[in-house]
Amino acid sequence: MFGEEELVKIHKDRATLLSYIITAAFGLVLSRLWYLQVYKGETLHNYSIQNRLRKEVVWAPRGLIYSRDDQLIVDNIPRFDAILTPQFLMEKEGALNKLAKILSMEPTAIQAILKKNSNQATYRPIIVKKNITFDELAKIETQNADLPGISVDTFISREYRDKEIGAHLLGYISEISQTQLPKLRERDRMDYRLGDFIGQFGIEEQLDRYLRGENGHEFVEVDARGRRKRYINTDNLFKGIEDEKPISGMNVKLTIDRDMQVAAFNALEGKVGGVIAIDIDSGEVLTMVSRPSFDPSQFSRGLSPEYWRSLVTNKEHPLRDRNIQEHFSPGSTFKALTGIAAFEEGEIDENTEVFCTGKWSFGRRSYHCWKKEGHGATNLVKAIRESCNVYFQKAANRMPIDALAKYAKAFGLGARTGISLPREVAGLIPTSEWKKKRLGQEWQPGETLSCAIGQSYVLASTIQLATAYAAIANGGKIYRPFVVKDVFDTNGDLVKTYTPELLSKIEMKNPKTLKFIREGLFQVVNNPKGTAWYRRGQGILMAGKTGTSQVKGASADKVHQKCELMDYESRHHGLFVGFAPYDNPKIAAAVIVEHGCHGSSAAAPVAEAVITQYMKKYHPDMYLQNLEKDKTIKDNWIKSLRATAPAAGGAHGEE
Amino acid sequence: MSQRLLEFLKRYDFSFIGSMSAIFLVGILNLYSATHSQSHEGLDSLYKSQLIWFGVAVGVAVAISFLNPKTFERFSYVGYIVTLFLVFLVMLMGKVGMGAQRWLVLGPIRMQPSEFMKMGLVLAMSRFFTRVSPEKELGFKDLIFPGIIVMVPAIMVIAQPDLGTGMLLLFIFSMMIFYKRLKWNTIATLGIIALVSGVLMYNFGLKEYQRKRIHTFIDPYQDAKGSGYNAIQSEIAIGSGRLFGKGFKNSSQASLNYLPENHTDFVFAIFNEEHGFFGSVFLIILYIVFFMRLIWLATSVQRFYDSILVIGIMSIFFWHAFINMAMVSGLLPIVGIPLPLMSYGGSSMLTFGVGVGMATSISNTRNFFN
Repeated sequence: MFGEEELVKIHKDRATLLSYIITAAFGLVLSRLWYLQVYKGETLHNYSIQNRLRKEVVWAPRGLIYSRDDQLIVDNIPRFDAILTPQFLMEKEGALNKLAKILSMEPTAIQAILKKNSNQATYRPIIVKKNITFDELAKIETQNADLPGISVDTFISREYRDKEIGAHLLGYISEISQTQLPKLRERDRMDYRLGDFIGQFGIEEQLDRYLRGENGHEFVEVDARGRRKRYINTDNLFKGIEDEKPISGMNVKLTIDRDMQVAAFNALEGKVGGVIAIDIDSGEVLTMVSRPSFDPSQFSRGLSPEYWRSLVTNKEHPLRDRNIQEHFSPGSTFKALTGIAAFEEGEIDENTEVFCTGKWSFGRRSYHCWKKEGHGATNLVKAIRESCNVYFQKAANRMPIDALAKYAKAFGLGARTGISLPREVAGLIPTSEWKKKRLGQEWQPGETLSCAIGQSYVLASTIQLATAYAAIANGGKIYRPFVVKDVFDTNGDLVKTYTPELLSKIEMKNPKTLKFIREGLFQVVNNPKGTAWYRRGQGILMAGKTGTSQVKGASADKVHQKCELMDYESRHHGLFVGFAPYDNPKIAAAVIVEHGCHGSSAAAPVAEAVITQYMKKYHPDMYLQNLEKDKTIKDNWIKSLRATAPAAGGAHGEE
Repeated sequence: MSQRLLEFLKRYDFSFIGSMSAIFLVGILNLYSATHSQSHEGLDSLYKSQLIWFGVAVGVAVAISFLNPKTFERFSYVGYIVTLFLVFLVMLMGKVGMGAQRWLVLGPIRMQPSEFMKMGLVLAMSRFFTRVSPEKELGFKDLIFPGIIVMVPAIMVIAQPDLGTGMLLLFIFSMMIFYKRLKWNTIATLGIIALVSGVLMYNFGLKEYQRKRIHTFIDPYQDAKGSGYNAIQSEIAIGSGRLFGKGFKNSSQASLNYLPENHTDFVFAIFNEEHGFFGSVFLIILYIVFFMRLIWLATSVQRFYDSILVIGIMSIFFWHAFINMAMVSGLLPIVGIPLPLMSYGGSSMLTFGVGVGMATSISNTRNFFN
């Protein structure tokens, strides 16, 4: 057994070895330093005084975006910037004056730019003028000898060919800012750098990882006058110094039709609102347009402060998307769902009649129909056609709110559709439980009456309404709406393809339910008494429902006030949701026009324009047949006009 | 009274605190030089907080120097478990935060528990080797329990992910078992196993993208494209210093902000650029003197616990210094290991203070009771 002291002593040889190891390790470091500082010292010294070696990013071309009809909608276009590197600037006055002349700028303006950037390192280039013309580019290149330190930087700009059309859907790219950098690095676990471009909105954001590609880099040697040439690693001085080519981003094909986008955009001219159209048998979004809009191209290269200010000070909020990022009261467009609920629950059938006197006193409140003199005896089809409030309120009064909510939710309302676009809103379908939890109060039967006509707590977005009406048209199938069809690599090989996703199939208890709802929706547009008779269009055989969404709770005395006479801010939103063609449905569309007063005059024409474009392009035969059917409907109407007294006519207003 | 104070001062071992101060002096001047031109990044006052940290670290060293070394021994496992718990805490918070997490934030104080983990490991190892098989040479079987002691924190730290610090724990462990007379044939076998499995794994077990992923995994924010740009700029900085350097505050690489982490991992490059080869010889001699003084202390104490503890402390600082210098000069890949007393950082400074305090206490005990 050793004593403690002995124990320490027998380790002495290891301690000695350790001291050798340590000395040898530092000897190794010193010999490496000798190699760098003495053997390679001169060369490295030269590099350091001129900062000759520079690593420059070679931007990866971002993937292109095509529409479903193979039209290029987002492109990359080279732009040129005049740049100046202070470190290499000689005979400052003369050079700056020459440059000012070429760029038709004041020399003082260039001086001001230099001064503004004087706190940064002198080897860093400063942008003097963005987007110079080819003429200016040529002059700078040819006078290169007289312009030391001045050169042209090529920049690939993201161009959205249709400018404002569909900007909310496509989104934009912009530089990662100082504040975003740490958040994005955390989010994506990516080695982002300040100044990298990233999709910040819409498709550009959602598909960024496909579109982005991978930046490369190259090593550049800079001579004393700031001229650059590729670095050739001849002396093997440095390890790992290899150029890397960028990898282009992948191309994307959308489900969106470009011509329909244009039609939708034009139809929304002068309006504030949005339209969305989907393929009812797949959930493919065919059109998604919101107005007012913005030009995403402006974002890809340092947004000008003036443009930004014009966007954020605009009272109509051009940056806000009206289709998936906003919800509102669906108004009478919700009556179709109230009808379905009451029919399925057995509370009404196609023959159930309600007598509408123009108002209904329930509890202490009086519920008005939009038609002061009332609709008289009203069945389901007529109630939908003429949008009778009293009918749907009496129908809803026969069932608890939770039963109504069950059907609305089954048709996709009150929850995000899950479209692969950022910041979708959920909307709201209230239940008694929701109210207790949120407001701590019991549900009042009177509230059911307001919800039945799409007011009160009920909130929905156009994409939800389009999805719900698509399900009415296709027999209860809820598809998840989607906007991207395919992703291709640069060789044109398919990388990923998105297929329709059937979320649920609603089993209807009563086979007649959807039949009569559809019949009502058809008559809204194609019956002279329907609320949208004058908006029926040609060759599309559209079915649908108008609606208005009250902006402020209209008090009872104002309920019949003419909307156009109110000040703009308090005018109702106009809505229209529909599908077409009635007898062989293909497409569903939902429109909101903010402060548009009426669904029929403001919103329905937008849906009509979009659907007409769709029918002509994708179902030309059906379009021609529908023209015939339209003619028959019109002839019948004229006949009936002749037969009856001249007093008959379409219902012009609604609600 | 003054007689007793004089006697006390005579016996108090100032060599460690002195050594620490000498290196720190070089370090603080260098840090000032590396950051003085970076007012726009708010780094120009870093040297002030570094001074405060040094004050705290010296305070901690002096306080610990008055403790009895037996106290360290008693609280060895406690220290290990506490530091392990802190590392675990960081790992949990990292999970919640969805990303690399090395910091523990307690109000205004941010600390890096993996830094303290090194000291915790050294304490636990010292204690273990004192109580178990004190005199025999170590074979494979003797490495099972110490292996667990080191692998648990090492894996947790690597998962943070901080491969650099995780490897460092293993290196410290290796140096300590080497001192505790690991059999030569065991050393050889372990070395061969490590080498062969490492090479095989890297060359055959991994696909190219996995290798790339490992590089990113080592440090996600380093240049993911493997160009070694930082390393190149660092080599340019060092080489451009030549024999005598460009002089104090004259580093062009640093002032032009070419080097990314020039106040932490790359301070040695700045030092070389400004003071050249001879400056580095001077600095390295300071480090070697400090390490040799520790080794000498380890061989001259009476208790084996004290001896191996001092070797452990020495290992921590040696590996930091060596790996940092080697990576900055291009001998090793870039892993985020700071240079003790030279790089900016409070946690590593505190660890240094604790180590110096323990060494001083051990030395004093020897002086006072002999």
